[in-house]
Amino acid sequence: MKPRAIVVVIAALMVLAFGSAASAQSDCKTLVPASPWGPNDQTGATNRITPAVTKAAATEIKDGKVIAMAYPLADGIPLFGTRFTKTILTATTLAPGGALGENQLTYMEDTWLSQSHVGTHLDGMGHIGRKDCYYNQTPMGKFITQNAMTKLGLEHLKPFATRGVIVDMVKVYQQANKLKSNPACKKPCLDKGTVITAADIQAGLKMYNVTLREGDIVIIHTGWGDLFEQYPAQNATYNSGEPGIGKDAATWLISQKIVAVGNDTWGVEVIPGESPKEAFIVHNMLLTDNGIHIIENVRTDLIAAEAAATGRATFFFNMTVPKAVGLTGNFVGIEAIR
Amino acid sequence: MKDRAPASSLRGRRRPRVWPVAAGLVALLVVAAGLWPAGAQRRYVVAFANLTEEPGVTVEGTGFTGREIRESFMLAARAHPVEMVYYDNQRDDARALQNADAAIARKVDLYIQYHQGAANAAIAQKLKAAGIPILALNYPVPGAPLYTLDNLAAGHVAGEALAQFALRSWRGQPTAAAVVGNLSAAADRVPERARGVTEALAQRLPAVRVTALDTRGNPAQVGPLLGKFLGAHPTGKLLLAATDDTTALAVKSTVESAGRVHDAAIVSHGVDRTIHGGMNERKEIDPANRGSIVIGSVAFFLDRCGYEILPLAMRMLRGESLPARVTSRLVLVTAANVFLEYPPYDMN
Repeated sequence: MKPRAIVVVIAALMVLAFGSAASAQSDCKTLVPASPWGPNDQTGATNRITPAVTKAAATEIKDGKVIAMAYPLADGIPLFGTRFTKTILTATTLAPGGALGENQLTYMEDTWLSQSHVGTHLDGMGHIGRKDCYYNQTPMGKFITQNAMTKLGLEHLKPFATRGVIVDMVKVYQQANKLKSNPACKKPCLDKGTVITAADIQAGLKMYNVTLREGDIVIIHTGWGDLFEQYPAQNATYNSGEPGIGKDAATWLISQKIVAVGNDTWGVEVIPGESPKEAFIVHNMLLTDNGIHIIENVRTDLIAAEAAATGRATFFFNMTVPKAVGLTGNFVGIEAIR
Repeated sequence: MKDRAPASSLRGRRRPRVWPVAAGLVALLVVAAGLWPAGAQRRYVVAFANLTEEPGVTVEGTGFTGREIRESFMLAARAHPVEMVYYDNQRDDARALQNADAAIARKVDLYIQYHQGAANAAIAQKLKAAGIPILALNYPVPGAPLYTLDNLAAGHVAGEALAQFALRSWRGQPTAAAVVGNLSAAADRVPERARGVTEALAQRLPAVRVTALDTRGNPAQVGPLLGKFLGAHPTGKLLLAATDDTTALAVKSTVESAGRVHDAAIVSHGVDRTIHGGMNERKEIDPANRGSIVIGSVAFFLDRCGYEILPLAMRMLRGESLPARVTSRLVLVTAANVFLEYPPYDMN
C-alpha cells in the first residue's frame, strides 16, 4: 500500500473511532437525564443528606432504642439467579502446636465468596443503566475494567445518616380491605404481583401523619420478607415474584426528593412488572434517571411493629456502606434508632 | 296599599327564596365533588371462562396451559378498573352453560368466553337475554367479537423466516423442507400453521418441496419420521418448520443425532418456556446461543393474551364497537430479540 493510501486509511479509521465515541456520548445525553448536581456528580441523591438533614434526623432519637433492619447473611438465604454464598473458616492455629509465640496467640478469619448484591444490600448507581448509559449520562463502557468500575462506585456516596420513614403497606391494604396474602406467608403479606401505587404510599404516610421531607429514606413493609425469614424453605416462592412499587409510586417518590427506597423484597419493584415488555423499569427510573438508591431485602417487620406500637413511623436511619471502590453495590447493615 | 310592600322590600323578600337555593345547590355540588375521589371511575366485573384449568394440559397446540392464560388476565387486570371472576369450562358444554348461568346470577358486566363447543350458541343467547356482552377468545361465539390467534399468518412468518435464511445462506444449493408436528390437530388449528409455512415457502422458494410429517402429538415420533426424511435427503440443505416448541427441540435433537447440524435450519411456533428462559436458564433461544440451528419461534403471545384482551373488553364496556375479528400480535422471536420480547428477571 502506498504511504498516501495508508494515511487515508488511518484518517478514515480515526474518523470512525472518534465518530462512534462521540455518538455514544450523545446517546447517553438522549437516554439519561443530567444530574441536578452537575456534570461531574457521582454522588447522586445522597447529595441531599446535608448536615442540616442529618441534624434534623437526629431529633428522631428519643430513647436510644435500636431496631435491626437487616436479615442474617448466611448460607441458605434466598439468592437470586445463580448467585451463591460460600464461607470458609481459616482456623489453622487452633490445631495442636499451631498457636503462635509464648502468648499462644491464635486467630481465625473467613473467606467469604459471594456476589455484592446478596442479603440486605444497597444498589449503587453503577448497578442499572439504559443500554450502556448510566446515572448522570455516564457512558459506562468507557469506565469499566475487568475488575471494577472507574466511575459511579460506592466510594462516592455520602453517609446515609438521615431520617427513615416506615410505610406499613400491610396495614394500608388491611384497612382498605384489599389484602390478599400469599398462603406461604406465616404473617400477613401482600402477594407477588401486587402493584403499590402512589396513593397506597400516601395512605401509609397519612396513617402515621407523616409528610416526607427532602433527604428522607422510605422503607415499605410488604410482609413478603416473611418468606425470607423462613429460609431456605420458601426461597423459591420468595424469588418467584414480589409485591412492590409500580411506576406511579416511583414517579411520586422521585418528586419527593428522597435519597433511597427500600423494602422487604429482593427487588423493591413489583414483579411481574406492570408491562411484560419492560425489565425492572422502576430501577431505571430511580437509579439511572435520578440517582435514588434502592435497598433490597430490608427487614421491615420489627420497625413496622414498633411504629404500630408507638404511633410513630419515623426514625434515624443508620446504614453502613463500605467505601468499596468501583463496586456496583454491597451488603449493608441497617438499624433504626429512636 | 298597606299590604303592598315597596319594590325594594319585594326584591328583598324574593332574594332569600332564589339565591340561598342556588347557593345551597352549589355548596352541595362542591361537597359532592370533594367527597368523590379524584379520578374515581366505575369498576366493572369481568368474567373469564377458561377453556380448561387442568394442570399440565396444554392448549392451542402450544406449550401453554390454561392456567398461564388465566394468570395473564390476573396480571393485566392490575391496570384496569375491573374485578375479575374466573370460571373453568373444563372443555365441557354442560359446564360452560353452568358457568354462564353463574355469571348471569353474579350480574357480571362482560363475559370473555374461551370454549370450543356447541354450547357457545346457547350461551350467547342466555347472555344476550341478560344484557351481558360477550368477547370470544379463539373460538367464535355468535354475535360476539372474536380475539384469536392467527395460525395461518404465524405459519407465513415461520415459512418466510426459513426462506430468507435459505436465500441468504444456501442460495443455489439443493434444499428440501418439512413441516413437523401434530398436523392432524384440526381443533387446535395446527394445520393452518402448516399451510402458512407451505404457502410462504412456495412463494419464496417454488422449487423446494415441502413434506408433512405428522407426529399426532407424540414428540417421540419426531425421531422415526424425521429420520426417514433425512435418509431420503442424504445430501443438501434442510428447512424444518416445527408447529410447536417441544417438537422443535425434538427436531433439533434428531438432526444432531444424524450429524446434519450444518445442513439444517429450524423455525418453531409458540415461544413457550421450553425454548426460551431467563438469564441463567440457557435455553435454546438465548442471546448467548446465536449460532443455534433453531433460528427462532413465532410468538403469538398466548401467555400474555390477557394484556391484549382486557383493553378490548374495556372498549366494549365503554360502548365502543370492536371489529368482528382481532388477531394476536405475531413476532419471530430469535436470539437477537428474545430478551426484548421476554425480558427476564433472574439477572445477576
